[in-house]
Amino acid sequence: MFNNYRLATNIQRVFAYAVLFILLVITIVPIWLLIVNATRSTTEIQQGLSILPSTHLVENYNILLGKGLDLPRGFGNSTFLAVASTIVTVYFSMLTAYGIVVYEFKGKQFFSNFIVVLVMIPMQLSIIGFYQYMSKLGLTDNYAALILPLIANAGGVFFGKQYLESIVMQDLIDAARIDGASELAIFHQVMMPLAVPGAATMGIFAFVASWNNFFNPFILISSLEKYTLPMLVQTLRGDVYRTEFGAIYLGLAATVVPIIIIYAFFSRYIISGIAIGAVKE
Amino acid sequence: MSLSKFKRNYYGYFFITPFIIGFLIFGLYPVYNTLALSFTDTTLMSKNADFVGLKNFTRLFADDVFMNAVKNTWIIWILNFIPQIGIALLLSAWFTNARLKIKGVGVWRALFFLPNLLVPASVAALFFAFFSFYGPVNQFMVRFGFLPEAMHYLQSVPITRGLVVFIQWWMWFGQTVIIVMAGMTSIPVSLYEAAMVDGATAAQMFRRITLPLLKPILIYIFVTSLVGGMQLFDIPFLLTDGRGSPSSSIQTNNILMYMKFASSKGHIGAASSVGVLIFLMTSICALGIFYFLRDKDNSEIDKSARRFFFKKKSA
Repeated sequence: MFNNYRLATNIQRVFAYAVLFILLVITIVPIWLLIVNATRSTTEIQQGLSILPSTHLVENYNILLGKGLDLPRGFGNSTFLAVASTIVTVYFSMLTAYGIVVYEFKGKQFFSNFIVVLVMIPMQLSIIGFYQYMSKLGLTDNYAALILPLIANAGGVFFGKQYLESIVMQDLIDAARIDGASELAIFHQVMMPLAVPGAATMGIFAFVASWNNFFNPFILISSLEKYTLPMLVQTLRGDVYRTEFGAIYLGLAATVVPIIIIYAFFSRYIISGIAIGAVKE
Repeated sequence: MSLSKFKRNYYGYFFITPFIIGFLIFGLYPVYNTLALSFTDTTLMSKNADFVGLKNFTRLFADDVFMNAVKNTWIIWILNFIPQIGIALLLSAWFTNARLKIKGVGVWRALFFLPNLLVPASVAALFFAFFSFYGPVNQFMVRFGFLPEAMHYLQSVPITRGLVVFIQWWMWFGQTVIIVMAGMTSIPVSLYEAAMVDGATAAQMFRRITLPLLKPILIYIFVTSLVGGMQLFDIPFLLTDGRGSPSSSIQTNNILMYMKFASSKGHIGAASSVGVLIFLMTSICALGIFYFLRDKDNSEIDKSARRFFFKKKSA
């Protein structure tokens, strides 16, 4: 009886590892092939598959630049936009969340529920009205149209609220008040330093969301010099690059490798942050 | 409540004011503007626009294009959601199983989640490259004899649609595993111990304890996935020609909206009406599911689950 039980467990374990391994291969192989192919010449790529990198990285890069794809500028644009989006999202979401968590005011519960509803509503679908409105204000083809809306980022507030509820210490706030600190100063000087781990997690998500965003910049930004990396990816699909496989792979790899590097350093924050919206510990 | 404390609580309004102003300007007004535009024949080219009533909407329902896009979007979402949640439940059950003792759970999870962080536009372009005629998939299939000769994958409706479904699954199953697992690990072990004392089997425990207690989490995943799925754009847009080819089989709601927006005249009135309809459809489904499923149940175990996961909100 006991041995049977152990045998059954072992069989199940082997099966589980086999499934996990297959899923791992499915997950990793496309990403690995992307990075490997970015270092291979078009001829090599056409000759067959390889799982080992080659030596044509620089050559592919020069082909991309030669065809007019300004990768460094796209990189700079994406970075600028992502950093600005992160700062605006984190600061204003924390500010709003702090207001909800620390003060008892009329309409607080309504506002709190309203945030949850906003998270579940596809606000993005108002992009056409947003576009026309921005063009009236002269803000199309302007990064402000992508950054300013993040002042009211419902997802960020929801996350911030869940996080602050777990760390806010009323005693500390009261002590600061006795010391004569203003309410805003308490938020800046007492709360923000304490909230750094939560702010960092939120910041990573905000950064990735901006970095990966294609639809909104694609609608709002029109001049080539303001293109972000995902928009350059769209131009990579054009005829100019039809036969330059190595260069195409390099262009794609350039958009995902920075995120993979960030993930390698901050995966713990990212993974713990995902469930915050769903589970209340 | 003392007067000073009463006054101090007004600071709550002070702290949420930037959000409210930002929301009114960049959130609410664009929604209103989209709704207003949907009743007009506004284009990007003309200065004058006329109120046309429901004409944009009746036109959408008059031909198959809109219904086809809605159908495609639902098919793609459902087909990727089922395996996504299935695999997530299976892996989470394994990862939290004390008897199996799977090693390196954190590493498995972290690796499965990686595709979720990649630029969707690049992922679509990557799979386009893989499945193009001279791409590595054809090389592999022909070399190892799975196919007699290279084929045009992206001209086949089932393959292309299947590919969009696969990419969506590939990008999201890892995230779902993490959320489901967080839910499973927060179920009190004592419940399982009590069930075991009563002689429950593993399957019974999964059905009677795990699933009911996971319900709020599953609803959360369902709703957020639905809202995202109804707005699917990047992957089908960049996998083929940006019009949902072949045979408009991967033309989603958002692609249709974009096509009306980017048409030669820029029919933003018509594009807005697509946005309005999808907005209504998605919001009604999402909010309906969320509130209907969350508050309907009265059984004791569900109540405890609600207390467990929605402490503040249900209060």
